[in-house]
Amino acid sequence: MTELGLHQLTFEYNGQPLFDHLDFQVEPGTFGLLTGPSGCGKSTLLKLLAGLLPQYGGAVTSGQALLNGQPVGKIVPYQRAAKVAMLFQHPGRQFAMKTVSEQLQFALANLQLPREEVQRRMHDTLAWMNIHHLAQRRVHTLSGGEQQRVSLACLLAMDSEVILLDEPFANVDMMGRQQLLADLKRLQTEQAKTILLADHDLSGYQGIANSWYQLSADQQLSRHDPQSLPADQPTIPVKRQPLNEGRLVANNIEISVGSRVLLKDSQLTIPQGQLGLLSGENGAGKSALLAALSQQHNYEGQIEFDHQAATKLPPKKWALTVGWVFQNSTDQFIELKAGDELKASQTHSCQPQYWTKDRINQVVGELGLTKCLDRVSYQLSGGQQKKLQLLSMLVMGQPVMLLDEPFAGLDGASLRVVLRLIRKVATDLQIGMLIISHQRVGVVDQMDYEIRLADQHLTLLGGENID
Amino acid sequence: MTNRTRRLNPTVLALMIITLGLATSFVHSVTLNAIVIAGSLLYLFWQQMPFKKTVLILLIALPLALGSWLSFYFFGAGNRVHLAWIYGSRVYAYLTLALTLTLTTSAKTLLLSLHQHLKLPNTFVYGVLAALNMFSRLRGAFQQVRYSAMLRGQAYHLWQPRFYLRLILIALNWSGDLAMAMTSQGFTEGAVRTEMAVDKLPKWQYGLVMGLLVAYVAAAICWRPW
Repeated sequence: MTELGLHQLTFEYNGQPLFDHLDFQVEPGTFGLLTGPSGCGKSTLLKLLAGLLPQYGGAVTSGQALLNGQPVGKIVPYQRAAKVAMLFQHPGRQFAMKTVSEQLQFALANLQLPREEVQRRMHDTLAWMNIHHLAQRRVHTLSGGEQQRVSLACLLAMDSEVILLDEPFANVDMMGRQQLLADLKRLQTEQAKTILLADHDLSGYQGIANSWYQLSADQQLSRHDPQSLPADQPTIPVKRQPLNEGRLVANNIEISVGSRVLLKDSQLTIPQGQLGLLSGENGAGKSALLAALSQQHNYEGQIEFDHQAATKLPPKKWALTVGWVFQNSTDQFIELKAGDELKASQTHSCQPQYWTKDRINQVVGELGLTKCLDRVSYQLSGGQQKKLQLLSMLVMGQPVMLLDEPFAGLDGASLRVVLRLIRKVATDLQIGMLIISHQRVGVVDQMDYEIRLADQHLTLLGGENID
Repeated sequence: MTNRTRRLNPTVLALMIITLGLATSFVHSVTLNAIVIAGSLLYLFWQQMPFKKTVLILLIALPLALGSWLSFYFFGAGNRVHLAWIYGSRVYAYLTLALTLTLTTSAKTLLLSLHQHLKLPNTFVYGVLAALNMFSRLRGAFQQVRYSAMLRGQAYHLWQPRFYLRLILIALNWSGDLAMAMTSQGFTEGAVRTEMAVDKLPKWQYGLVMGLLVAYVAAAICWRPW
């Protein structure tokens, strides 16, 4: 059994101390869950255990991370990978090779296994994970969930004893998440792997996690009873409110990706001043719909704003009519520093009277971003980036806003603040908002209506239980 | 015999491009340039490369060749006609020589072949491969960067340095994440890896490179063609 842990470890990043004499031991053979608010250092803790830090940044000023008594960073990667390996937050950025089978071969060849062994392990892994059909696919054509499964397959093929996962579901939908969780549990029980998974979201782990560690905002680690993890709740329906008039109307919309038709003969109106939830299964086409409404994806049919066709307006103007909050926060940034990001929005805001300097500062405080303003946006934690991105777009204040997973990576407290903010801005400025969120807990009670994308059609749900 | 085995090894082709290319830049001969062009084209046709594509590439290079020709014809010193033809044909000699490799071989095959036969370091091979595989996604990033600026009421133009700064930042971010993932998957700089593909390089192909080079230099020195 592999012994992996941190011993009296003190770590500094960019001159700022992150952990102070931290002790942590991974329990062999268990499924461990590591939770904590965004930016508390979950990711850093995992990377220290994986031996990737301080190699890729920061400095250990005292103590060390030990793997079977040896400093983990000193073990050469090809030996380390068979003991401990990591799965990352951005599914698409873990692949050096073009296709799934090439990627698996790459990982196995790193371990210097004989050629026949590489082939054998590759086939066994594809079979065990039931992803033979993906073998020849190009990785960048796979969905986020599929990419994470392929990445997991790499770790499984390498036979890593400890598997560390850093927010593996941040860019994965509900279906993908369930699939991946099932795979992980099977790995732990059938193959005696040790799993340690960092997530900001506590739901779905009841009965799966054997141990639960919580990292506080001031980097104190505490242990909790996994029995006290929140139980799975049935899908909570959105209680539909009377709907306002809408300015953005789509008629007879048809959207395809490649040869696959995602949506046809569909109508959609986005009511002003209200929050709508856009739900749907894995790959149903929710993001593609947002892209079409933003004129960033081809479609058939008519999309109009105040009875003006989208196609008649120049792209620049449409971008100030329909705002799109991207799934990936860093894609949204146009400046280097967090403070400049907000200044840029304020200068070009559609609602300059509303977004005064004082109001922006006040909201920055509520979101806990005050200390971040002087920092480079790319170096903020995932949760901080999300909040900065959201605020930057809210300050733009387009009359219609489309938000793709705006709550991903946010802890409970941040989620409440963000939802309150979105609600207030939507009401004050009469902005129509359509939101994709795989997370329903704590979200649905703030929504005014739910539109479901299924079987190539959009349905406005009545409010009764959708199960 | 299958098509694949009739092919020259990518490493051999690369060596041929380097040696003959270098020789071409020192030797002033229209005749030898023409022989290189003819030889390269013959190889391409033997490999059944798409005719249209090849012709299109040759046409695209025409302005370059013509530009060279004209500038030496009008502004050269000495035998201007001879010089014009040397430099005009040289463009095509380089181009067709390079096409023998680029049209017949993928980047992956070439890099792995160079690694196997010329000891190109794995870090370089897989670094370049990962970068190439990300390149297709960079096109999407390019559009996204422009659109993200529009969403904020700004316009990025191709001539603005900050547009490229953003792209570089995105690429740096990706490469940092990827480097960590590759390390986690056991990739070790300077370490031995299992060689999955066996790239055959018959000795006679090295001989061919040597032979062609010797013949080329000998012809240039003894025959002194026009």
